[in-house]
Amino acid sequence: MHAKQKTWLWNAVFIGIVFALSYSVYFASQKIEYNWRWERVVPYIINTDAQEITAPGDGTVEIDERNHQLTLVVDGETTPFVVKEYTELQVSDGDLIFEGDTLATLEQWQIGPLIDGLIVTIEISIYSLVIALVLGLVIGLMRISANPMLRNMAILYIEVIRGTPLLVQIFIMYFFIGTVMDLERFTAGVIALSVFTGAYVAEIIRSGIQSIPVGQMEAARSLGMSYPKAMTFIILPQAFKRTLPPMAGQFINLIKDSSLVSVISITDLTKAGREVVSGSFAPFEVWFTVALLYRVLTSTLSWAIQRLEKRLSASD
Amino acid sequence: MTDTADNIIVTIDVEKYYNNGALHALKTVNTTVKRGEVVVIVGPSGSGKSTLLRTLNQLETIESGTIIVDGVDMYDRSTNINKLRENVGMVFQGFNLFPHKTALENVMLAPLKVAKRPLAEVTEHARELMYKVGLADRMENYPSQLSGGQMQRVAIARALAMRPDIMLFDEPTSALDPEMVGEVLDVMKSLAAEGMTMVVVTHEMGFAREVADRVLFMEEGALLVDASPDVFFDTPPHARLKQFLSKIL
Ligand SMILES: Nc1ncnc2c1ncn2[C@@H]1O[C@H](COP(=O)(O)OP(=O)(O)OP(=O)(O)O)[C@@H](O)[C@H]1O
Ligand SMILES: [Mg+2]
Repeated sequence: MHAKQKTWLWNAVFIGIVFALSYSVYFASQKIEYNWRWERVVPYIINTDAQEITAPGDGTVEIDERNHQLTLVVDGETTPFVVKEYTELQVSDGDLIFEGDTLATLEQWQIGPLIDGLIVTIEISIYSLVIALVLGLVIGLMRISANPMLRNMAILYIEVIRGTPLLVQIFIMYFFIGTVMDLERFTAGVIALSVFTGAYVAEIIRSGIQSIPVGQMEAARSLGMSYPKAMTFIILPQAFKRTLPPMAGQFINLIKDSSLVSVISITDLTKAGREVVSGSFAPFEVWFTVALLYRVLTSTLSWAIQRLEKRLSASD
Repeated sequence: MTDTADNIIVTIDVEKYYNNGALHALKTVNTTVKRGEVVVIVGPSGSGKSTLLRTLNQLETIESGTIIVDGVDMYDRSTNINKLRENVGMVFQGFNLFPHKTALENVMLAPLKVAKRPLAEVTEHARELMYKVGLADRMENYPSQLSGGQMQRVAIARALAMRPDIMLFDEPTSALDPEMVGEVLDVMKSLAAEGMTMVVVTHEMGFAREVADRVLFMEEGALLVDASPDVFFDTPPHARLKQFLSKIL
């Protein structure tokens, strides 16, 4: 009874502090006379405004109401400009049009640049995650190999990658390796992130494998399994289960670290945020929104991994 | 080649060192095991019993000497050690069941993935084996849901699933609560009665006396005594063995 009361008290204190912090943010923004205008962020997430369809050149309009089609015969061009999807026409049949005139409007929801950026971030993260996992597995296995050449290669890789900043690695990957090998920005970004995360994944996998009792390998080998078979069917499935929590942490880091690729002008969520700030004049709202979107990504990932852990715990 | 085709295991002048030669773990071990024989190895802790047993399926390598299993020289360059191990089942003190697989899956795994036998055949054989070790009602349980004695019986079934000609046991009952020792020994006795070739490291002297054809005594890496159970226990032919028996019996 007494203990319960105390818990309530501390929860109340916690909520109070959260409120105080929120208020201090509000108070601080008041002080610099900041006007919160959250509605300004919305179009950059989903644009519900009607879009204007404009003429690509001078010409004459032909309208076919029955087929719901507008054709602009552009002067000096053989192929006409055809619009099939529109909500409301702004011109009528036979009108003479100049370049840039509004032909029609289309009321259709459009995803805004922040969501475009979010999608790029997701793409980068997924590619990097898969490559990092494969790379980490190979390097992790090399790391525990009996062959000193393989082992030293793995150690060298892990030490170099873990001992240098990711930002520097991204620059090297893009400006040096990327130039030499003629890589696109996106590819360079994905490779840099994969190589970086792979080094950490390798260490996670190595410690996962080494946490499995040697008796497991001996039992597998005594049944006639080759080393690769024993790894595949016995050691790795058990190690995989044990590495899920640190792996989840690593992949959450990967999502967050992916924001660094914005420095090589990949329009990921962070870069999109930076661009939107200058267009919207609502920097606080935009950055809070960007943070929230990252948070949604990372918590979705940790939720998925927790579910996987639950599924795999059937044998415990 | 062996002098008689009946000798399923032959070891000739086997030497084994640990710690870069600092520890002489097996000293010129010469012995043979005939097909269908049950050989029990006893000796004080650290005498090299496990080491000897584990050289018989090359879980430990040797520095010199020859080991011939079922007519195949284990250290010949052309010998496929995985193929050879399929014919030599091993049961460990700590069971070493695969914890992420059910009991039945433990038994089925190697026949499916190593011997590549058809699923229907493997399933039927695995069920038979689980029945044989008295665990017909435990097939779908994970190792964590089984008692020590049950786990060890699954481990025996798992080794038998590859249809080996030889079974090696390294103190199979030492990690068990006393009331579970009997159930495991019973399975081993029935195996012996079926004519399985068995090499057993154990402290169960009752089992040695009752089931063994020969009992070996090891001390400090050397094989000191090789005798029938009657001679071994009733008229121990070596002073060190006499001392050892007086301590444990
Ligand atoms: N992997 C190893 N590395 C180094 N020394 C080892 C290793 N395995 C065993 N030894 C040593 O070799 C000797 C023989 O060990 P072994 O395990 O064969 O003894 P044992 O007769 O089975 O003993 P126990 O009854 O305690 O199981 C011991 O001195 C042991 O410390
Ligand atoms: Mg031992």
